[in-house]
Amino acid sequence: MSLEPQTNLKTETAHALKELIVRELKLDGKDPASIDDEASLFGEGLGLDSLDALQLAMSIEEQFGVRIPEGDEARPIFRCVATLAAHIDSSRAEAAKVTAGA
Amino acid sequence: MQEDVRLFVTGVGLVTALASSREASWNALLRGERGIRPIDLFDTSGQRGRIGAQVQDVTVRDAPHVATAAWSRSSVMAFIAAREALAHAKLDTKKVRVGLVIGGTTGGMFENEARLAELHRNPRNEEALVELLSHPLTAACDCVTQAVGPFVRTRTLSTACSSGANALIVAAAWLRAGLCDAVVAGGSDGLCRLTLSGFNALAAIDPEPCKPFDKSRHGLNLGEGAGFVVLERAPQVRARNVEPIAELAGWALGSEAHHITNPEPSGATPARVMQAALARANMTPADIDYVNAHGTATPLNDPMESAALMTALGKEIARIPVSSSKGQIGHTLAAAGAIEAGICALVIQRQKIVPTVGLVDPDPACALNHVVGEGRAARVRAVLSNSFGFGGMDSALIFKEANLDDPPIFVDENRRVVVTGAAALTPSGLRGTEQIKELLADAPNNHDITLDFAAHLDAMRARRLDRPARIGAIVVERALAEAGGDRIEKTGAVFSSAYGALDASAAYLHRLYEKGPRLASPADFPNLVPSSPVGHVTIYLGLGGPALATADLETSGESACTQAIELIQAGEADVVVAGGIEEASAIVERRLATIYRRLSETEKETAEIPRARAEGAAVVVFEAENVAKARGSRVLAEVTACLAWREDNLHPLSTITAPKNISEARVVMPRSEDESLIALLDASLWKDVSRVACDGAGGEHEALGAIAIGAALSEIFAGSIKEALIVGLAKGRGYALRLESRC
Repeated sequence: MSLEPQTNLKTETAHALKELIVRELKLDGKDPASIDDEASLFGEGLGLDSLDALQLAMSIEEQFGVRIPEGDEARPIFRCVATLAAHIDSSRAEAAKVTAGA
Repeated sequence: MQEDVRLFVTGVGLVTALASSREASWNALLRGERGIRPIDLFDTSGQRGRIGAQVQDVTVRDAPHVATAAWSRSSVMAFIAAREALAHAKLDTKKVRVGLVIGGTTGGMFENEARLAELHRNPRNEEALVELLSHPLTAACDCVTQAVGPFVRTRTLSTACSSGANALIVAAAWLRAGLCDAVVAGGSDGLCRLTLSGFNALAAIDPEPCKPFDKSRHGLNLGEGAGFVVLERAPQVRARNVEPIAELAGWALGSEAHHITNPEPSGATPARVMQAALARANMTPADIDYVNAHGTATPLNDPMESAALMTALGKEIARIPVSSSKGQIGHTLAAAGAIEAGICALVIQRQKIVPTVGLVDPDPACALNHVVGEGRAARVRAVLSNSFGFGGMDSALIFKEANLDDPPIFVDENRRVVVTGAAALTPSGLRGTEQIKELLADAPNNHDITLDFAAHLDAMRARRLDRPARIGAIVVERALAEAGGDRIEKTGAVFSSAYGALDASAAYLHRLYEKGPRLASPADFPNLVPSSPVGHVTIYLGLGGPALATADLETSGESACTQAIELIQAGEADVVVAGGIEEASAIVERRLATIYRRLSETEKETAEIPRARAEGAAVVVFEAENVAKARGSRVLAEVTACLAWREDNLHPLSTITAPKNISEARVVMPRSEDESLIALLDASLWKDVSRVACDGAGGEHEALGAIAIGAALSEIFAGSIKEALIVGLAKGRGYALRLESRC
């Protein structure tokens, strides 16, 4: 597997994730493309809070079929769009491997 | 003659997961028993947390009448606890003027969840759905009235998890104002799929039995139950020769204006509320010998509450034993504050304190004098009980030893209440005080509000506000602007909605049944709580005063305004913006309204909706006269009468004196074709006064009473009249408000 498709995958996931963030957190008027992959989602950056994190975790599970761990483990995953997208992609790749192996 | 207004608890009734009676619940509390086990009331598969404090031996079959269609478990538990409290007090509701105040959040949700999900899927369902009558919050009030009444005055309120405590605060206001001779006040809430999945979605539930204040606490366990107390003034307690259990010595309420689900981490507002309760009781922290904490065992509540207790009680907190009953009876939501009030009264009477069960290793961030294991004997002169609700609605109650021979307390004359502004939002637009009178025109009204909300609200800050909260924020902002001057500190807010977030609940439940509990929406769930719109508006506009939701069928708007006036008269708030907010609702319009319009039994089966129901909202700014004068407000009118009654009152308007000048007076009726209302007016001293109604341009919805008050104010402001009488009726209840010009 070359690096290129993975990068595309990551971009695709990040793009879908940004649309999900705007839709699920009702950020009316915000252009999903204006969300920086590396900007923090909570506190300073996008200004989200713990209730948003829960809504994001639920809707990511619904849309991508990927569970976000609860508690402290979730912290680094929720840092920014890039970390969330990486978690989604790696969880899906893991699941695909398991399915393929079964 | 002035009367001693010290308030005594003379009866307590409890239904908890430990037992469906006061004495058995109390004994189990002392023994440190837990009522927390797997919930089997409904299928909990797929839920993260599946345990709770379920009441074991209560079903709708325990309702006292043959026709059980309108009874829910919440109503049955309310009935059992209210009956027990009345019996404990040896009080006959036929002999003295007794009031009833009930706090609730879920009403008949459990009984109607599958039905609501189906109605969401198919809103055109035309089945006879008389069972839906058990759903509205008001149902508990009507069921209890039917079963153990009569009551002269009733109120249904919600402030989420502090509802039960606030029921006692409203009762105190009624008793001090002499509106009743006794009040049975409390709360009731039944477990349901909606709340279990919602708190699970918020990751607020511990899948294991909860551990309040513990280092390893993971959240709460939901419970269910009911708690009621009977409150009476000292002279009547003496005259009836009953043994008082405790004195309700202090109370206070306020809102954090912080976040819809998370408490303010510093606990500043809870601390302010506890201090205000101490001041009301004329006590210092040195007088308090026990605290019954809110203590939910969520990661955020317990350290916040500990910090607030340290702020409010200072160094005394090291001495004072603290416990939370929620490790034994779960978090019973609207019942919690009332059950815990009952427990506190018994703590005082029996000189025993109850434990925090589940606490093993206290969190250093909750460094309190914990009571662990079992209850124990202790010298208890006074106790403090905390209750905090979603949206930051905080309340504190203080009980002390009952001693009828202590010095009496007299209240100064009730504070005069004036009106300084109003606003209405209907399909024909947003109107301020000057324009609301246009809604008295006999003009057609559209169904939906079409105002561009985005033009009136800050998108980012308003993103969590659902439609009723957005309508509320816009109409309140306009009314407060109308009331003039800078934003007043600690403005209170009371909103009514007859049926709450019915369609949103149906949508949430439909999704729950379709997709399972893991995909329940944590963001949608808080908006299903009846007090959510008022909570959102206090947060959006930064209002820190008392905030409550009320509901009273078609007179919901009147109930909110009446509640606001009572809070000001009682000194709980200086300024309260109050009224009704009713959003369009397919389920209300197609199903509920048809069966609620005071139809006869035979009509129930066949009747069509008499008039199309529309969206509508109106709020009125009420102020204490002295405060309005001090801040130089533009006073428009004074509230010179404010009546609320139940159907047993045959001459409710008999205390309303004649208008000073018939040609300068007007009767404003919410609805024009109301025969019982016309009969009532024809028998009053206002029989010859011209009558107008606002169900033309104002539409048809349950906030019409608030539009009527706003329209009357608008006419007074225009100088076309000098006084107005607003009278509204719904099944079994009525309200009247008199406004006199002060322009």
